[in-house]
Amino acid sequence: MLRNDKRYKAVVIGGSAGSFSIVTRILSKIRPDFPLPIILCLHRLKHVRSGLVESLNLKSNIEVVEPFDKDRIVPNKVYLAPSNYHMFIEFDNSFSLSTEIVLNHSRPAIDHTFSSAAYAYRDKLIGIILTGANKDGAKGMKEIAGKKGTTIIQDPATCEVDTMTKSALRLITPDKVLSPEEIIDFLNQLPNV
Amino acid sequence: MDYKNYLQHLKKHTRYDFSGYSDNSIHRRIQKVLTDHHLNVEQLIEKTKYDQLFVEKMVEEITVNTTELFRNPEVWIDLYHKYKSFLKNKKQINIWHAGCSSGQEVYSNLIILNELGLLDRVKIVGTDLNIKMLSASKKGRYNYKFNRQYIENFNKVLNSKKNGSPKVPFEKYFTINEQEDCLEVNDFLRAIPLFRRHDLVQEKIPFYNKFDVIFCRNVLIYFNAELQSKIIQQFYNQLFVGGIMILGNHEGINGFFKTKFLKNGPAFVKNNAYHLKY
Repeated sequence: MLRNDKRYKAVVIGGSAGSFSIVTRILSKIRPDFPLPIILCLHRLKHVRSGLVESLNLKSNIEVVEPFDKDRIVPNKVYLAPSNYHMFIEFDNSFSLSTEIVLNHSRPAIDHTFSSAAYAYRDKLIGIILTGANKDGAKGMKEIAGKKGTTIIQDPATCEVDTMTKSALRLITPDKVLSPEEIIDFLNQLPNV
Repeated sequence: MDYKNYLQHLKKHTRYDFSGYSDNSIHRRIQKVLTDHHLNVEQLIEKTKYDQLFVEKMVEEITVNTTELFRNPEVWIDLYHKYKSFLKNKKQINIWHAGCSSGQEVYSNLIILNELGLLDRVKIVGTDLNIKMLSASKKGRYNYKFNRQYIENFNKVLNSKKNGSPKVPFEKYFTINEQEDCLEVNDFLRAIPLFRRHDLVQEKIPFYNKFDVIFCRNVLIYFNAELQSKIIQQFYNQLFVGGIMILGNHEGINGFFKTKFLKNGPAFVKNNAYHLKY
């Protein structure tokens, strides 16, 4: 059982094929005073650079930005990993970016963002993996679980492509398996920090 | 793993100093070295002290060499326009690519300058920490098959004008060697740049002259804020007033030097502010 008074510091969400509409739905229903930063790592086409952050912002109740290297992470903001960079969370609650080699055919790679977040936030982190056609994110979820963070996997039955969620389920037993609507409810009932 | 302790050993026993790298990323990269080479920290320290070849190999693994021809085409399109007014009255144009990796953006830059008729005035130098990358730069030979987007980028930058001007053929600058699956920079272009080794972290700037343009793309992202500021200050001092600095697409300037540059598109322009003493 999750303790209700647990003080989280951040939410990380990873997804690939089919996740864009789920993320849009989450952000359009998230409460406007959501108390944590939401860190998104979504796979995207390498040369479709712009547009994603703009379309998310159209629907989101919270401002969405693509962070610059060394930007500080603040609550009530959504951060989207910029195209063609890996995005890491540093120990001092800031971002660092990297152009090192693609991981799981992806840059940004969810595993990188998730494992660095696990190290930075330890048990104060919520990790959510959504629909996708690739195994990226599974190892990252394992790291989050290893640091006693809270792990949530989208119910594979509700996924457009369930490779990503099933790969994660093979590596960990998550705290929760939830439908998109349940993920929204879970986030919205998190207590203020 | 106490990676900070290890970095002190590295600094003491080799010519490399990674203590100004971002904590999480250097930690992760050293961890990867340990895993890949099946070492524990004590063994890594021993190897660092006595095995110079290993150290060079490890540094290659730790440093990042990602680059591409006309990386982020929108940046090059912007420069193509900016260069016209910015550089046309210069008798000599000095350009430095700091952390040039395999030199692809050095050649991209030269191609634009050639299209603008400025090539004969250019002095261009590329520097990198990694000797292998410098020799790749000098050769100007790049893998072809996996990099088809090079031609796409090239066309986006040079051939998307709508005024019906004649297309610039890729073969004007490159020879495609299908047999060996590589692109070769044509000799006239390859003869122009100088490449030399330079460690941005450890060494002073090795040039007497000032620069009109300094490129340093996705290099500073691996450093902590303090080291970033130190290097930005060096770039600032080495630029002419009005000179421009081109960083990676998601790199910014933090701290004191933020006010010393004006952002104009992808370019950071050195402020004409003599009254600001520092």
